Amino acid sequence: MHSTPAAPDQSAANGIDVAYFVLNTCLPYLRGAQNDDGGWGFTQGLESRVEPTAWCVLALHEFSEGPRVDEAAVRGFGYLERTQLPDGSWPATPGQEQGSWTTTPACWALLAYREQAQDRLDRGVNWLWKTPPGDAGRWWRFVRRLTAKRSVSSQSDQLYGWSWTQGTASWVEPTAYALIVLRRAPEKLLSNDAQKRISIAQKMLLDRMCPGGGWNCGNPMVYGVAGEPQVVPTVWALLALRDSGTPEFKKSLDWLEANRGEVQSLASLALTKIGLDALGRSDPNLENSLAASFRDKDISVVNVPAIAWTTLAMSSKQNWLKLTMPGEAS
Amino acid sequence: MPRIAPLLSPPFSRPPSRVAIRRVRGYEADLSALLFETLREFDLPVRDKTVLLKPNLVGLDPLGMMNTHPAVIAAARETFLRMGASEVLIGDGPAMDRDTQAVLESIRLREYAGPLSRIFVDLNIDAVERVELKTRASRLKELYFPKTVRGVDFLVSLPKLKTHHWAGVTLSLKNMFGVVPGGCYGWPKNILHWAGIDRAILDINAAVRPDFAIVDGIIGMEGNGPIQGQPKPCGVIVCGDDPVAVDATCTRVMGLLPEKVKYLAHAGTLLGHIGEEKIRQMAESIESVCTPFAVLDAFRHLRHNASGPVWHVNCV
Repeated sequence: MHSTPAAPDQSAANGIDVAYFVLNTCLPYLRGAQNDDGGWGFTQGLESRVEPTAWCVLALHEFSEGPRVDEAAVRGFGYLERTQLPDGSWPATPGQEQGSWTTTPACWALLAYREQAQDRLDRGVNWLWKTPPGDAGRWWRFVRRLTAKRSVSSQSDQLYGWSWTQGTASWVEPTAYALIVLRRAPEKLLSNDAQKRISIAQKMLLDRMCPGGGWNCGNPMVYGVAGEPQVVPTVWALLALRDSGTPEFKKSLDWLEANRGEVQSLASLALTKIGLDALGRSDPNLENSLAASFRDKDISVVNVPAIAWTTLAMSSKQNWLKLTMPGEAS
Repeated sequence: MPRIAPLLSPPFSRPPSRVAIRRVRGYEADLSALLFETLREFDLPVRDKTVLLKPNLVGLDPLGMMNTHPAVIAAARETFLRMGASEVLIGDGPAMDRDTQAVLESIRLREYAGPLSRIFVDLNIDAVERVELKTRASRLKELYFPKTVRGVDFLVSLPKLKTHHWAGVTLSLKNMFGVVPGGCYGWPKNILHWAGIDRAILDINAAVRPDFAIVDGIIGMEGNGPIQGQPKPCGVIVCGDDPVAVDATCTRVMGLLPEKVKYLAHAGTLLGHIGEEKIRQMAESIESVCTPFAVLDAFRHLRHNASGPVWHVNCV
């Protein structure tokens, strides 16, 4: 059975040594899962992809001590350098010639190596704000306004953010990633147009919140039926809106906190802890639950990003989140 | 060995398809025995082969309303092993939630199928290969597909009997959306919606056509499916060696007209049969199990008769 914050697994009931857990379980797993090309696949042994590599670079960098830089993280950084497309974006899988949502986690990882990566980072950020989703076009919105599909869902057709793949619609998760990363973008790169786009995307996230708080992929209400929120998009949306102070933000944070006892997977448990810690609602039980969950789970259905998020969730410093906050030292 | 793309051919050059309808009391029944008895009639070439079962795992489902029931998945796995398959994998790529482990835990699949570490493949994050789409029904020229899907010897679509708010019905053909990897296209796989759902269904099934289909119609979903509809007890399992014919039969069981479902009508021209005269019906008749499903107003035209149930939506 699953361990939950309400009923932690017996093996973790007495608490864990977080440092020991990270050093002896999480970091060796990540280092062992790295491919020869420096990247990581979604699961150990699979071809390297940008997104898992970006999360692993952040996780390993988080636990690099002082001037000692984790060699695996540096090799991962090298993979990200090599896979950036000429237009500044990153593809979701090798061979794709178009950029995708993976550009945001890649940029986030590059923030950790800002001194070496400034040019690549600038080009990535530039691509991010200059590449609109398919639903940003005036023609699309005009047609949408006229068609019956508007009555299917309650969300505004006038708001847009970022899409998973180029030329498609805006969704919660890629929009949240972009807002998080652009928060730290150099001012010289963000024109008035970019600031306007950020503002519209923030409104889009608020508009897409589920009626009871929290977010799913981006369908809060279909045919009059309320959508169920999910942990993963909720945490990223909360982190993207952390400065908003809106009632929607509080309602969604309340949902995340209330839901923490229902979480049944490593990825969602890790992100729940990340979200609650970052937003001032820490629950000490989550640390034990996460460690127990890591040990107990059928690890083959758990992916590398989930392990990287678990590692990041165990950090007390949370430098990887500070990387995206204006004015914070990297 | 890579799977060879199925030959696309018009109905007149295809042999008749076989579809079996079996009545089932509930998920507590001996589904394994029932499936073994039914599938034995098809003489399927699975001995010493690798089989991939592709259930419909849409999202978190603690109440068991929207996903293929784990009892059906486990029974199908047991059946193919009993028929001599060397390996029977279960794989899916949930479309609306990237946390596949959470989806699996919510339906308690481990309790039915045992440890998943060696048998479950998350198709969203599997290794992929680029496939040029020969049908070009949609504007997609190519798609990445999981290597597991392309590499197995025998692919089984294992959906739930449901209505669908964009496509009309979602059965074994629409279920194949789940093999398109979220790791390449996101959650949801919005590229398919932008290409046109009906047309994308054709392209995907032409590229990775299931060899067999088993539909969990014990409790289906009507109205605002595939996620937010209402459970609809129907008490059947429908299976067959032509996914188009299976879907056409299921649509008739739901009291709907397959030739009015856009993608099914098109599929009937090159992927399989939808005409009743070309489908050899086995076990129960359609009439004996027909259970009219409520549909959204937008799909009123799919019904056999105008007085059938309509899902009254409360649009805001």
